[in-house]
Amino acid sequence: MLNVIAMADWLTRISLSCFALSYLIALLLEISRLFFRVSVRSVVLFVMMLAGIFAHIIFLWDKFQSDFSGGTPLASWYDWCLVISLALAITYTIVALQRVRHSVGIFFLPVILGLILFAISIEGRQPFSAQERGDLWGMTHGISLLAGTVSMAIAFTTGLMYLVQASRLKRKLPPKAGFRLPSLEWLQVCNRRSLFLATGLIMIGLFSGIIMNVQFQNKLKDIVPWDDMVVISSSVLLLWLIAVSIFEMLYRPARQGKKIAYLTMASFLFLIMVLYFVIFGQHAETPVAIILWLGGRV
Amino acid sequence: MRVQMIGCSHHNTDVTFREKLAFQPTQAAAALAQMRSLFPRTEAVLLSTCNRMEIYAAAEDEVDCPTAEELINFVAEFHGLVPQDIAAELHNLCGEDAVRHLFATAASLNSMVVGEAQILSQIKQAYDLANAGDSTGPLTHSTFQAAIRVAKRVQNETSLHEKRVSIPSIAVADYASQFFERFDDKVVLIIGAGEMAQETLTYLVDKNVGRIIIINRSRERADQLAKQTGNEAADWDQLENLLAEADLVVSATAATEPVVTGDVFERVVEKRYQRPVFILDLAVPRDFDNAISDFINVYLYSIDDIQKVCDANLAARQLEWPKAENIIAEETELFMKVLFQRITGPWIGRLKQQANDIKKAELRRLQNKLGDFGDDPTVSKEIELTLDRLVNKLLHPPLESLREDISPDTGTGLLDALKKLFQLKD
Repeated sequence: MLNVIAMADWLTRISLSCFALSYLIALLLEISRLFFRVSVRSVVLFVMMLAGIFAHIIFLWDKFQSDFSGGTPLASWYDWCLVISLALAITYTIVALQRVRHSVGIFFLPVILGLILFAISIEGRQPFSAQERGDLWGMTHGISLLAGTVSMAIAFTTGLMYLVQASRLKRKLPPKAGFRLPSLEWLQVCNRRSLFLATGLIMIGLFSGIIMNVQFQNKLKDIVPWDDMVVISSSVLLLWLIAVSIFEMLYRPARQGKKIAYLTMASFLFLIMVLYFVIFGQHAETPVAIILWLGGRV
Repeated sequence: MRVQMIGCSHHNTDVTFREKLAFQPTQAAAALAQMRSLFPRTEAVLLSTCNRMEIYAAAEDEVDCPTAEELINFVAEFHGLVPQDIAAELHNLCGEDAVRHLFATAASLNSMVVGEAQILSQIKQAYDLANAGDSTGPLTHSTFQAAIRVAKRVQNETSLHEKRVSIPSIAVADYASQFFERFDDKVVLIIGAGEMAQETLTYLVDKNVGRIIIINRSRERADQLAKQTGNEAADWDQLENLLAEADLVVSATAATEPVVTGDVFERVVEKRYQRPVFILDLAVPRDFDNAISDFINVYLYSIDDIQKVCDANLAARQLEWPKAENIIAEETELFMKVLFQRITGPWIGRLKQQANDIKKAELRRLQNKLGDFGDDPTVSKEIELTLDRLVNKLLHPPLESLREDISPDTGTGLLDALKKLFQLKD
């Protein structure tokens, strides 16, 4: 019994630095591949990732429970950045398990660590309050946009890897033992699928946001103005993604090679821009705008 | 204990000779069955691949193990050959040398393409076949299982297997795999039917390519190669269409002028819709105009590009080779030591049993003589303890010497002496 209590106490002491440090060590191990060969590296790397993911889940769960008693759980940019980084960490671990000798971590882990650092930088920001947190449209809106962002981050990472690999092969660089990337074919397939998935999810997210805003309008509650910068930039992003997807589907040369990778990178940067408007623009002061993006309610 | 090996390989014999001694899987099973009846107390494994034929025989007692001469006679008789005709071409190794050779072969140090993984699976198959035919025993089990373990250790601890040195193997394994995730849905076009094209084809067949088309100015040669490898051939005038269709192109003709010029490829590119294509131009002089590499999503590699990797791998292999040899030497020494120590176990047990039987018989005799005094449990226990101590003290020095001294260097002389001195029987 005492052991269980001690264990529970120990788990509650897990902090953000625990998993951030695990991911950082994993990144350093990935980088060390470039310089020397050690047979146990992959095992240590997986242990680090699994330990990091475990600590990450415990940390979020703990936060979820404490937030739940006081208001809306996981309802701040800080929380959401950590959720996205967790999803990317799990994705990376699965990919790395299937491709032990490939250096995918060099591309994934900086994105994961970057998100954690970003989360730390915005930790003090006001969380979203929620009057009607159980609302279906609100939840759909938030979850779709979160999943769409994860999917777009994966598309960005695989697109970047594609461009690096294509450039290496075009320049006829010899294969390097410490820096192996997945095949062009695999990267292209992952890139395409992630882009389509992100487009679909962001489309669902935006439409559910519109429905939610219309409902607010009907109930005479605070609404986000239709000419709001967030609404406009989100709509432009969606139109861009749809155009990219249609271009990719209808124009055969775009289906192959670097074009789709470049378009994905541009889409990701577009998404970052929209998120910037939401987080740091004047709408950050307007909870409604944030909530419209993330599915909560004022 | 004796391990005897005879065999031949691509190192010292030509293909014609190896073909004569090759055993097809059914023949190998029959040969092992014959060996079992000829040498009943011998364990045997027969390894027969296109590059080598080797027979490993082993027996706990040296007299039970066939000699090299007996094995050569057996092989000659099985294939209907004259022993004297083949004896000079076959090499034979015994004991530690045979074990070291097997370890090195399994680790692919003796292969034509050093580091290739195929030989290990061939050794596993040979061992499985011998197991299925009940031709194996404790010695072959431990030797072959150790060989498989050693091969994996060499694979894990050195990068020897990653360092290919033949142009076609590098082109397929190191380059093509960077483009394609799978090959079973790919179309490969082979231009030319010469030696280089043939060798590349063997590596592509191993990759399980979906469709391989061979095209050559002489349709007859293309047909011949296609028939040999179970692929399809096409007419030379189909070249442009096939270039538009292919995912991977291997070109190795003897043409003195480029076979595919920039103008020709421009027409091909239009039909491809910028679909990536990996072109391996292995011909000298080159078959593809260098300007073709400027097209979008065209990755053109010449023999010089791959030769650079070949040279780098060769240099890297020179560094890796001693590491692999050290592993083999270390593992062979350890294996032989363990093997020699293991064979003493049953004899030590037998000697102790013999001493114990004598002790019990003497104890019974003494108890009968002592009458009532011997029935006293305290006295009886004390006498038994004294006899135990006596037996242990007498046996301890010779057994300790046996454990310490027996090794591949000193041989089994001390064990043989012990067997004779104490008249130990099987």
